[in-house]
Amino acid sequence: MSPPAQQRAERIAHNVRIRPMHCAAERSADGAARRPYQVLEFDARQFVMNSELIKRLAGSRKQLAESLNYNPLLKKEAEEGGCGVVGFCCSEPVAGRHIYEPSRQMHNRGNGKGGGIAAVGLVPEQLGVSREVLDSHFLLHVAFIDTKVRPEIEAQFIKPFFDIAASAKLDKVDDWKSVPGLEVLPPDVCRYFVRVKPLVLDEFIAKNHLQQLDRDEAEDEFVNQNSFSLNQKYYASLGEKRAFVLSHGRDIMILKVVGYAEAIVKYYKIEELCAHEWIAHQRFPTKGRVWHPGGAHPFAAIDMALVHNGDFANYHSVTEYLKQRHIYPQFLTDTEVSALLFDLLTRTYHYPLEYIIEALAPTTELDFDRLDPEKQKIYRAIQATHIHGSPDGPWFFIIARNLARQKQFQLMGITDTAMLRPQVFAFCDGEVQVGLIGSEKQAIDATLLSLSKDDKRICPVADRYWNARGGSHNDGGAFIFNLQKNPAGKIRITCTDKFGKPVPMPGGTEACDFSKGGTGLRPVPSGDSPDGMEQIVNEKLAAGNSLAAFEWVRDQLPKWTYDEFRAACRQMVDAAKDASRTAMAIEVFALLNDRRYSTGSKKRSHVLHVIHTELSRLLGSLPNIGSKDAGKSAFRLIDFATRGSLRPPQENETTLVIDAANFAPEGSNCDAELLVDAFMKGWRHFISFNCIGQRYIGCGLGPETGDVTIEVYGSSGDYLGSGIDGLAITVHGNAQDQLGQITKEGKMVVHGDVGQTFMYGAKGGVVYVLGNAAGRPLINSVGKPRVVINGTCLDFLAESFMAGDPNHGGGFVILNGVKFDDEGKLVPLPEPYPGSNLFSLASGGAIFVRDPGKTMVDQQLNGGKFARVTAADWELILPYLEENQRLFGITVGQLLTVNGQQRKPAQVYRKVVPGNIKAIVTEDTDDVAAEELVGDLAAK
Amino acid sequence: MNTLPENTLKTRVPQEEVERVVKPAPSRYRNEIAKYIVHRSLDCERCGKCLEVCTHGVHVRKPGFEYFGEPNHHLCIGPACAKNGHYCVAQCPKQALQIRENPMYRALGDCRWSADLILATWKMAETGEAPSDEYDFNYECGDSGGGFDKLRFKFPKQPPIKLDADQIDTSISLNKRKDGRPEIKIDVPWYGGGMSFGSVSNVTQLSKARAAVAWNTFTCTGEGGYMERMRPYDDHMITQVATGLFGVREETIQRVPIVEFKYAQGAKPGLGGHLLGDKNTPAVARMRETVLGISLFSPFPFHSVYSIEDHMKHIDWVKHVNRRALISTKVSTPTDVDMVAVGSYSAGTHIVHIDGGYGGTGAAPDIAKKNIAMPIEYAIGKVHNFLTDEGVRDKMTLIASGGIRSAHDIAKAIALGADGVVVGTAELVALGCVRCSLCASGRGCPRGIATTDPELCGKMDLDWGTQRLVNLYSAWRKTLVGILQRLGLRSVAELRGRTDLLMHLDYTNDIR
Repeated sequence: MSPPAQQRAERIAHNVRIRPMHCAAERSADGAARRPYQVLEFDARQFVMNSELIKRLAGSRKQLAESLNYNPLLKKEAEEGGCGVVGFCCSEPVAGRHIYEPSRQMHNRGNGKGGGIAAVGLVPEQLGVSREVLDSHFLLHVAFIDTKVRPEIEAQFIKPFFDIAASAKLDKVDDWKSVPGLEVLPPDVCRYFVRVKPLVLDEFIAKNHLQQLDRDEAEDEFVNQNSFSLNQKYYASLGEKRAFVLSHGRDIMILKVVGYAEAIVKYYKIEELCAHEWIAHQRFPTKGRVWHPGGAHPFAAIDMALVHNGDFANYHSVTEYLKQRHIYPQFLTDTEVSALLFDLLTRTYHYPLEYIIEALAPTTELDFDRLDPEKQKIYRAIQATHIHGSPDGPWFFIIARNLARQKQFQLMGITDTAMLRPQVFAFCDGEVQVGLIGSEKQAIDATLLSLSKDDKRICPVADRYWNARGGSHNDGGAFIFNLQKNPAGKIRITCTDKFGKPVPMPGGTEACDFSKGGTGLRPVPSGDSPDGMEQIVNEKLAAGNSLAAFEWVRDQLPKWTYDEFRAACRQMVDAAKDASRTAMAIEVFALLNDRRYSTGSKKRSHVLHVIHTELSRLLGSLPNIGSKDAGKSAFRLIDFATRGSLRPPQENETTLVIDAANFAPEGSNCDAELLVDAFMKGWRHFISFNCIGQRYIGCGLGPETGDVTIEVYGSSGDYLGSGIDGLAITVHGNAQDQLGQITKEGKMVVHGDVGQTFMYGAKGGVVYVLGNAAGRPLINSVGKPRVVINGTCLDFLAESFMAGDPNHGGGFVILNGVKFDDEGKLVPLPEPYPGSNLFSLASGGAIFVRDPGKTMVDQQLNGGKFARVTAADWELILPYLEENQRLFGITVGQLLTVNGQQRKPAQVYRKVVPGNIKAIVTEDTDDVAAEELVGDLAAK
Repeated sequence: MNTLPENTLKTRVPQEEVERVVKPAPSRYRNEIAKYIVHRSLDCERCGKCLEVCTHGVHVRKPGFEYFGEPNHHLCIGPACAKNGHYCVAQCPKQALQIRENPMYRALGDCRWSADLILATWKMAETGEAPSDEYDFNYECGDSGGGFDKLRFKFPKQPPIKLDADQIDTSISLNKRKDGRPEIKIDVPWYGGGMSFGSVSNVTQLSKARAAVAWNTFTCTGEGGYMERMRPYDDHMITQVATGLFGVREETIQRVPIVEFKYAQGAKPGLGGHLLGDKNTPAVARMRETVLGISLFSPFPFHSVYSIEDHMKHIDWVKHVNRRALISTKVSTPTDVDMVAVGSYSAGTHIVHIDGGYGGTGAAPDIAKKNIAMPIEYAIGKVHNFLTDEGVRDKMTLIASGGIRSAHDIAKAIALGADGVVVGTAELVALGCVRCSLCASGRGCPRGIATTDPELCGKMDLDWGTQRLVNLYSAWRKTLVGILQRLGLRSVAELRGRTDLLMHLDYTNDIR
């Protein structure tokens, strides 16, 4: 270890150890004037604080709490597991109404008993202040539940201490009951742009001996303590809450209500208020009667707002940890504690972001081993010091903050080490950049759609969607969007992981001009003849070979302009006049959507958007179920408006096309319910499109569904195909969490990634996944599930797998560890399985991993062992790889090629089998017979 | 019901009826364990006097035989008989008879399940009646020195109103949400707890199911799969969706009127269900589709449920798969069980089933049993009051379990605030369990109840098992009706939450 790293590690361990309270042993020989250590790879301002100063800061907080008679015996107020969270940032300020749609999308993640939003990076003109004031002043947001207390609060807590540059009461709707989604009258909110009066600050510094502290930081601390006092007096100490501080930071504001988050936008009339960053939260408190929004998220600390989805198992331990550092919660929820924790690590300990994240979500197991030794030393010190403050259990934070001194905004998502909460990140690059974080992909889609309606430079399809791997050595389980002005004075967004490593974006940069509409677009002559496009497309469709038609478009695409490409797609829709051509066109669009190929200089996301739009137009123009010409077409369209007209299929009708757009995500108005009804009426083939996160598609059809097929386009929701017993589902895109739980039989094809606990408790079924699986796939699976995952998994693949002997009818997983690059070329991932736990506690089945470089090690297998792939094994898995080839275009030859050389299966694949499992009982035919006899006798 | 969804009836089979009649179902062992032993010495002259005086049928002389056979020890009421003039010992001309306490009686049971309670439960299962006072069994409670054993009803000297037994309603409704799903009523305020195939034999499971049919109540499959042989009783089955998802398929969810999510068991919170390798016999392995002979551990959490909104999603899923099903959420009793209950309500559950720490068979580890979960008598009140405060008490059914042993326990649980209870161990006792706590060891139960070993299973016959439970239920209902009569209450619903009718022996001073 190099001396600086050593020093730094020691420094962390040394500085932050606050023994019982103020430990004299920490006082160094050279006095308090120890130079703060500079962490050079980070901003020079971020340094690890000197311990004396930390003690003084903590001491000042202690005095304050004592003077306010703070009662440290606290109990968490409400269990709240979960919630829906979403956050997005944009290189240009965007209006508050765009938080409306994603919030609405997440209704089923809240219960209308609490919602909140935060905005960072506001527009000064809209707030009636100058840029200088907005940048330099604290924006103090105070909620008055009891409106009468405003004068006394101002007289006690605001006017005496602050120079007020501007203040205003937030406008609101007259009749709160006219705003849907509100449960209780929201509080009146006032904002004050303030700086601490210099004399007041001097006194504060002198009183608490904070002379060494940067004056700005002392001001932060003053604001923090002032808000604490206000909250204590008007909120925490009272049964009847009267007022509390919503937020206190520069260029940041928070609003909360008892109701759904989107109601805030309407009630406080902030549809047009613009900001660079927005976060929203739907709360699901278990307590039934909530009469004030104090416990709703986001929670504020200086210059930051935090929302949280999850539940700490160690709330008391974390509060104890905070209490030892004289940080005291007042709102008694996990989330407040999270904000306090983050603030402690930021402002008191001055940790760089990477270390803060490490303190929250420690790196463990194999991931720890894979860190470089210098990092290990530092991380070990951080963990040793902060493990008691590290939240345990499921959690996912979205944090928006303003690094005012660096003139930078940040939006970040951090997941817990075990990745127990769902999380998706997305990034849209281009002239206007958008970074998004959400609990579900559909919240991200809804945001992008909403934004794209206003600004045609924003594409509803992001350039990249990904998950974080909690506490990992490769991304650290956190991603940060940094908004900073470029030399031209324009804000640009970069995305980095915990370690500061930039997230690579797809290559194509040429954007499609969606403002040109699309409906009126005529085919543009493409070289040979003026009406060439129309003719060629018609011919291609008539030829009846969808693969050939797809390949033609694919090969032409790099040469085409966007207009030509759009014209080709358009023509495909227009040419789909009869059933066979419609089917052809759908197949071609499906291939264009699903396959990975080079888009030349064009952005793949924009190409996809064109495909989605045209496919939706094609499907949406099919004859409606309600129309009279029954039996004419093989396809029938049904949507939310016409769902009442559902009837059995007639004559030639084979396929029911469901426009999912307006259906509810669950309950009696969901499209999955309609699908079951249609199945019972005799429909067997389904296409579901325009999905916006609806759940349970393919569930509830019961057994004997071998003749049923379901194709899903759009953002499919959770629990897709959970419980299928025979049917086949194709997901044309990413699938969400809980896919295929308890599957008995059937086939699923996912042209993208799958979410958490995929195939949990499955009994059988064959599944092909083009991309990655998130955490805990195939956990507790039994019977004979057979799964091909072409990418990788986050962790815990096939834990407690009990799927018999694969060579005699049992189940297995093939993990290929490959991906397509931007050019559509198949490339191996750096390691096929980065997680620390594979096949743990498994007693049956096998995993075949494509690992020619032998990157996997024994430590990853808790109970399993590596075995050689035999000829019988290859015979077993080859048919699945061949089907994989047919579905995704990943050839067996490509998989067996390593560094350009064709290898033998046993050189490329490794097999993981259960370790030395001792079966206590052995199969004895007499036993079986006897047992059945007893059973039969019992049944008479 | 007009919305009866066809998809859940696709695989329906004809349902079987079971008669609700009490018939004698004597012990399946020749010499039932008895409190007293009757000893006949060689001085006996076979005069037959004892046969004449005994009113309990203890002495046995088969027709045509001169010598006496082995007496029915378990029918003997003991030395107390001396007071009533039927005492054979006193009347034997040769003083050849002797009655003494059976040393096995001393060894039988434990503090929670006292020997008296076990013997009384056997009597109820045999006859369908509570044992007569002559036997002097204390079957109202055990000797645990806590829990229900410290609670007593404050019976008035005279009932406030006179009620006939047939005027008293013991039924409870399981769906109070009024959400369009079926209004299910059960005739008695209890149903059978979940015990998987694997933990108990199929005869045990079927007996429980058939008794549930006879008494129009329910029993639960547990998490080890749903036997085809249970199909004729589908309408009285609850199927469990537990963390291991063993044997849970869409089709099994569609069979039943109630689906139970098992998050935790009061006997072992923080641990999933587990079946040790010995009991994972070929039949069990086939049912669960696992590897033979491997210990099967269900994970502690549902891997797909880490929060309340996940729970709601989970419930919505099952509601979607089975549109007529009611949802029961079974949780153990941590200190914040009240929050859990109200959260489950908002997530859409119909029944909250709180499982306290007194229950559990021998399979639950000793370290967990009674040491983790909150005692059920505390949890019931806490949840009942919290739900009342939150204004949702009458929109959901609160079911309590974990150490409910007798009709008195049932009445106490209801008086504390539950709507009804779930019983588990008591049913096994009725089937002949001696509480040896060897459920999990080797191939399981020596009495052939909690086992899947073919040889051990063969010790029990289905009709007998059914009858024992039908009888037990009958006896319990009579006792419960008696309690309600004495309290002057018309229904169990009126008893709910009447803590004013209870007293705690440690706090008798508080009684006005």
